[in-house]
Amino acid sequence: MTLDRRDFLKYSALAVAATSGMPGFLARAATQPGGASGKTLVVVQLTGGNDGLNTLVPYSNGAYYAARPNIAIPKKDVLTLTPDLGMHPALKPLTGLWDAGHLAWMENVGYPNPTRSHFASMAIWHTADPTQAQAEGWIGRIAEQIGDPFCASNLGGVAPQALRASEFSLPSIDSVDSFQVKLPAGLEGAFGQMLGAPRTGEAAYLGEATRRMLANTGAVQKNVSKYKAGAKYPGGRFASQLRDAARLIAAGTGQRVLYVSLGGFDTHAGQRAEQDELLAQLASGLAAFQADLEAQGLADRVLVMGFSEFGRRVAENASAGTDHGQGSVMFALGQGVRGGVHGSSPDLEDLADGDIKYRQDFRGVYAGALTGWLGLDAREILRGDFAGPPWLA
Amino acid sequence: MPLTPLSRKLTPEDAAHLLRRTAFGATDAQIRALVGREAREVARDLLSFGNETAPGNPFDPAQAARPGAGAQLVRGAWLYELLYGPHPLRERLALTWSNHFVIGTDKVRNVPMLTGYLALLRRHAASDNFAAFTLDVARHPAMLRYLDNDQNRKGKPNENFSRELLELFTTGLGTPGRPNYSEEDVREGARALTGWTFEGGRGNDRFLEEPRFVFRPGQHDAGRKAYLGRAGNLGGEDVVRLAATHPQTALFVARKLHRAFVADTPDEAAVAGSAETFRRTNGSVRAVLEELLASEAFYARRAAIIRSPVEFIVGAVRTLGQPRLEAKQILNLAQTAGRLGQLLLEPDTVKGWDGGREWINDSTLLGRMQVAAALTLGGTAPALREQPTPLALLGQERSPLQGALGGLSPKQRTYLTLISPEFQLA
Repeated sequence: MTLDRRDFLKYSALAVAATSGMPGFLARAATQPGGASGKTLVVVQLTGGNDGLNTLVPYSNGAYYAARPNIAIPKKDVLTLTPDLGMHPALKPLTGLWDAGHLAWMENVGYPNPTRSHFASMAIWHTADPTQAQAEGWIGRIAEQIGDPFCASNLGGVAPQALRASEFSLPSIDSVDSFQVKLPAGLEGAFGQMLGAPRTGEAAYLGEATRRMLANTGAVQKNVSKYKAGAKYPGGRFASQLRDAARLIAAGTGQRVLYVSLGGFDTHAGQRAEQDELLAQLASGLAAFQADLEAQGLADRVLVMGFSEFGRRVAENASAGTDHGQGSVMFALGQGVRGGVHGSSPDLEDLADGDIKYRQDFRGVYAGALTGWLGLDAREILRGDFAGPPWLA
Repeated sequence: MPLTPLSRKLTPEDAAHLLRRTAFGATDAQIRALVGREAREVARDLLSFGNETAPGNPFDPAQAARPGAGAQLVRGAWLYELLYGPHPLRERLALTWSNHFVIGTDKVRNVPMLTGYLALLRRHAASDNFAAFTLDVARHPAMLRYLDNDQNRKGKPNENFSRELLELFTTGLGTPGRPNYSEEDVREGARALTGWTFEGGRGNDRFLEEPRFVFRPGQHDAGRKAYLGRAGNLGGEDVVRLAATHPQTALFVARKLHRAFVADTPDEAAVAGSAETFRRTNGSVRAVLEELLASEAFYARRAAIIRSPVEFIVGAVRTLGQPRLEAKQILNLAQTAGRLGQLLLEPDTVKGWDGGREWINDSTLLGRMQVAAALTLGGTAPALREQPTPLALLGQERSPLQGALGGLSPKQRTYLTLISPEFQLA
């Protein structure tokens, strides 16, 4: 009952064509071999609003310490990167990548007319549309441009809006090991017939999603047994999802974009303990992932780009936490990045309503990954021209 | 715009539809018992639930040895009530409210907080006064802890609860060009809510101690504030009442109820009808639901809701005639619901589960197939007194899947029906 990817594309193209006319992306898929560049972008989402100022710390700035008497990172603890900036101490596992020139920080990134709602803000990053008029995500649009619904996958339970396309949502792989169909013997024919019954509305959507799942699990399981981890990963869900990402890349399953999330950054109270722990998870997971890719000889083919929906207010609140703010840092790592700090630091004495004033539109950073790394038409995907800092090597 | 009442008496398929939405599903006999009755009268009956709970609940969270086990036992006890309780609509509503007034066991680890919060959601399940419901939520230690209002003090506000009160619990954001509130409202609301905190139950070793709400006047900012167009020396009660009775709240809550009971993508004209009823009755959820569950609009939208993981699991067990499951199986099912994307009392974020198509992806479809197999074909599958009919499974007297499933054993037929798109919709 397993279909391979080409069969699936043919099949779903026919199925869609029969009901609504074949959309352009599937028509292109039928004629175009995908994944020519062999490069993968791993997007890391820090959910909840990561505090950028305590991540890339302006340790020479008195205004930073004045605004945060309890939660500022003491100068002596900062991992110095430049005369003015250094990393949170929990990011220590990433210092080797920094020294090798494989870690980039993008300063002061945001979007116009910022909102302090987690959900509206996250939707803006996902759709790459500050007017929130679009429903599909920027990675969903990549899939449409490439013409292959399998070209991007989420690792984790629920696919974020970024991976939604107009006609489908992209695969979500909770764990590679359990990503397989085990149908009781003798039911294949009846299952196929049951799925094949004509349907409309949400039932048609569910039928199509089930067929797509069969194709996706088949494609993944065909290849993944080849992988042996080249590094020891720390415990926890985030690291195991990065390990699954490495596994899919090593197996050559063909995704151009993989998406992982780490949640819990909504640090309104007791921020130091919470964010310290999260940044440690982030750094140890990413360091293991990079070491694994090096060991597999794949490091030149993979680039990681990380973001959060917003940063926190410059001043701490009374609960030793921070409330929702605007603008924050992004990061990228891999042999394909130009290491260093890109863009200028926020002026902590010229604030908008207690928040930093962002200077770099996040879509400019996305554009770099789309054009410079994936070789795609960023203009079409982002629906406009956006220039970013030269963060790619 | 009023919702037109259903004029016919309930047919078997109408009754099946109603019970899929309000009781997670039902057996053939339970469905047929409603046939020929008036929709309004049935809706009123369903909504007049009492406090009775399922007898013999094997889970007692007060017996937990650690906070994590406490949360597991609360989930197990709730799932037991969902599966076997006498008032599925009350539980269906508690589930809806737990996804509206969200708290999470990631942060709330105190057992009495969790059980007390769940009791609060049940007590107000079909609330006659949404503002009173919201006020009880706002003052509950579980919410004070989850959104940090217990740390909100005069001169040093913590905005977390004040923001989500507006964005997620009452008015909603509004549209980008026409927001329902301003950042100023969030800040002023936080000032008004200062001094609300709780005593007791803090810390990992006090996870069984009962906390209680306290107001600390010394930490309260009694000064003048402006909030949602009103001004004065507003306190926490004032702010919660203003938010909960705001005209946009009627629309926001009505849309939630339509998403829970009518369609993943509700008809906005019908939502506006319910919002009007909500306003007219000063925020009576009961009045809104009674009208809605007896309306043409409700009976016209079949198969328009993708069942959530909990609805899928509970729906399967209730449709199979509530076979007895071992306590361990029930705990496993609670964990499985989590793997399928819906861990009770722990949504991923304070916004809760978006639902609809978000429930569906490759991994969750695989997980649903495993649950269906475990309940029908597996070695520990419960024995059934009788096989469920197409009316019970699919809400239709004649199965649309008959052609595909002919020639299979009853268990195999039930298995493939449970994983069909038709069963997964309500």
